[in-house]
Amino acid sequence: MSVASPTRGEAQNRSTRDPVLEALGKHLGAQVMIEQTTLTGMPVVWLPRERLLEALAFLKGLPEGFTMLFDLSAIDERLRSQRVDLPPADFTVFYHLVSLDRNRDLMLKVAIDEGDLSLPSCVSVFRNANWYEREVWDMFGIDFAGHPRLVRILMPPTWTGHPLRKDYPARATEFDPYTLTVAGQDTEQKALQFDPEAWGMQRERAGSEFMFLNLGPNHPSAHGAFRIVLQLDGEEIVDCVPDIGYHHRGAEKMAERQSWHSFIPYTDRVDYTGGVMNNLPYVLAVEKLAGIEVPDRVKVIRVMMAEMFRITSHLLFLGTYLQDLGAMTPVFFTFSDRQRAYKVIEGITGFRMHPAWYRIGGVAQDLPEGWQALVQEFLDWMPKRLREYQRAMMENAIVRERTRDIAAFSTAEALEWGVTGPNLRATGCNFDLRKQRPYSGYDQFDFEVPLGTRGDVFDRGQLRIEEMRQSVRIIQQCVDNMPPGDYKADHPLTTPPPRERMLQHIETLITHFLQVSWGPVLKPNESCQMVEATKGINSYYLTSDGNTTSYRTRIRTPSFPHLQQIPALMRRGFVPDLIAHLGSIDFVMADVDR
Amino acid sequence: MTYTLTRADDDMAAATDRYPLGERRQVEDPVKQQLERNVFTGKLDEVLNSVVNWGRKNSLWPYNFGLSCCYVEMTTAFTSPHDIARFGSEVIRASPRQADFMVIAGTCFIKMAPVIQQLYDQMLEPKWVISMGSCANSGGMYDIYSVVQGVDKFLPVDVYVPGCPPRPEAFLQGLQLLQDSIQEERRPLSWVVGDQGVYRAKMPSQREKHRDRRIQVTELRSPSRL
Repeated sequence: MSVASPTRGEAQNRSTRDPVLEALGKHLGAQVMIEQTTLTGMPVVWLPRERLLEALAFLKGLPEGFTMLFDLSAIDERLRSQRVDLPPADFTVFYHLVSLDRNRDLMLKVAIDEGDLSLPSCVSVFRNANWYEREVWDMFGIDFAGHPRLVRILMPPTWTGHPLRKDYPARATEFDPYTLTVAGQDTEQKALQFDPEAWGMQRERAGSEFMFLNLGPNHPSAHGAFRIVLQLDGEEIVDCVPDIGYHHRGAEKMAERQSWHSFIPYTDRVDYTGGVMNNLPYVLAVEKLAGIEVPDRVKVIRVMMAEMFRITSHLLFLGTYLQDLGAMTPVFFTFSDRQRAYKVIEGITGFRMHPAWYRIGGVAQDLPEGWQALVQEFLDWMPKRLREYQRAMMENAIVRERTRDIAAFSTAEALEWGVTGPNLRATGCNFDLRKQRPYSGYDQFDFEVPLGTRGDVFDRGQLRIEEMRQSVRIIQQCVDNMPPGDYKADHPLTTPPPRERMLQHIETLITHFLQVSWGPVLKPNESCQMVEATKGINSYYLTSDGNTTSYRTRIRTPSFPHLQQIPALMRRGFVPDLIAHLGSIDFVMADVDR
Repeated sequence: MTYTLTRADDDMAAATDRYPLGERRQVEDPVKQQLERNVFTGKLDEVLNSVVNWGRKNSLWPYNFGLSCCYVEMTTAFTSPHDIARFGSEVIRASPRQADFMVIAGTCFIKMAPVIQQLYDQMLEPKWVISMGSCANSGGMYDIYSVVQGVDKFLPVDVYVPGCPPRPEAFLQGLQLLQDSIQEERRPLSWVVGDQGVYRAKMPSQREKHRDRRIQVTELRSPSRL
């Protein structure tokens, strides 16, 4: 199978069929575009560097245009061996665009040479490219000409090297053991000090000095290691600069070293309140690469457990959101519900927060005997609690007054910043991947997509209560209609392979041994899978070079753009409103920094 | 019982000194040494120590500090189903200056390490550190460029809680182990009485203590039943 790329003739045939590519071809001249066939489910087009900005602006400006820059990152291509018919490149930067109106995606790729690692910055076209370009600079050392402030974002300012380059060591144990000296502590603290001038900020206005308040990296309302520096005039936020990277666990680099199978536990810890919800996009993307079609039972089990985690994550959100607004009690209620949810999750998967329970081609084991009663008990418990939360919290006059019209944004603004998930739907935009692009059999379920109207702190909280109701509904349908069948696909790349077939003869034993120890070998290709995760759209973009490990795994997480939006929203706001907004975003830092 | 004696000399630290600062060495129980000198004051010292330690261990105020996943399980321990108030530790402090102990709940990142050190320095003596979860204990599954391979590379850790993440019950057990160790501690009763070192008891290893019972297990429950 020549998967990596088609001949140019084929590509041009395809582009004549696709209206968007046809229009782009007409605008740029078809000869500059090279189309790559992948399993990503979207057209992938290579463009020369000089035409990039023009192409991005054109696609954004189309009627029903590609208004959201969904993802932007790079690939170090220098060690990639299977690059049939692709343009020569040492590094590739890709731009993943989404058009909500057309409900389709498009990926643009630009090849760049090691000797000239530079691209024009597209911040002028897509504002949210700012952080993504900084991340590419940090991780790959690719320069973006015209970027407003191209500095490190994930690694400390004192860092040397670009970790996602192929020649950069992955393991901490390949470096000297970490030590912290008194002098080192001093240097690092100085490096962390905020310099307003570097960010183009004034120190005073009309004779009165601004106060610069450092909120974080450890602050009770910051939900983890997040820092935001506020420029204050009294209580008013003149400007603010979020500072992230205090939670960068190198998940993408890790994927280049773990086998396809053994990377699954790392996905759990990306959005650490999402549990197996994180496994889903990864295993679905791997299954696309492997060509595995899973049995219906697997799909329903996966949906059921993913929705369980949506509920636990939203419960955590609800408790902390109200706590940030000053309400002490709700967190005690929601956590006791979480405990009930964990009883179900633990009974089925054997673990609480990070079960790593999905497998390539299935799940780890079949549902245990008596699981229905266990799940039903939880489903019977939740609705009355949700009614109580609704009455006691969201209908509470203080909560309403405190959250109505605070940190509100429109659908257009949300798309401009790449906001997805409940935060996008709170603006009234009906975009839920479970409906728009059903995966894992979501089209078979009967549920509604709750929408907000004003896109404010209140709507974001209210919406999640509604979402929990819908999740309860979905899980009920799973319990009532669990299909019989196997919990693993009958496919040679299913990992781990069925144990019953292991001891037939030496051949099956060897295959089993290789697949468990080295892991499956996937054909060279690229695939991408998005899911509607707990906090927004989470996607895995995998590049296989025909090996036992991924060549490049790009993890697009929803919280990263959500934090990037904060300054645009909070300018001229008040400090307590910022806290209310932080509570309503629902982010965890692992989902931002990965 | 053997003790680890730590003498705080932060003021005299040279620029090249590595954290954790202070000289550490193994010594015998200081109260027992005094006992040999004078039976009466020795006994008084022992009783006073015991009373003070009893007070300290039963009102440990935790610092509200979380890094990642473990923090969620730590918070779960604070809420009603697990109710940490049973052990006198429900008074979460948002400022390190008011807290008695810090739980490193989560991955310790190289970018975060100087911040953690700063917060630890801001805590007042007596202070303790619980390392919660595999990442804080040793780096765990994250042997990766951005992660410090164990928070004890720069902080003095009193109790290690294993797990990824540990269950809330495991955290509560860690807290109780810290309380046990505090009961045995020898600290100066005042800034003028006695020598000013901190004597930490060398507590028995939990792994060794439970090994015999654990290896008795021959049959594990099948996951196909609840």
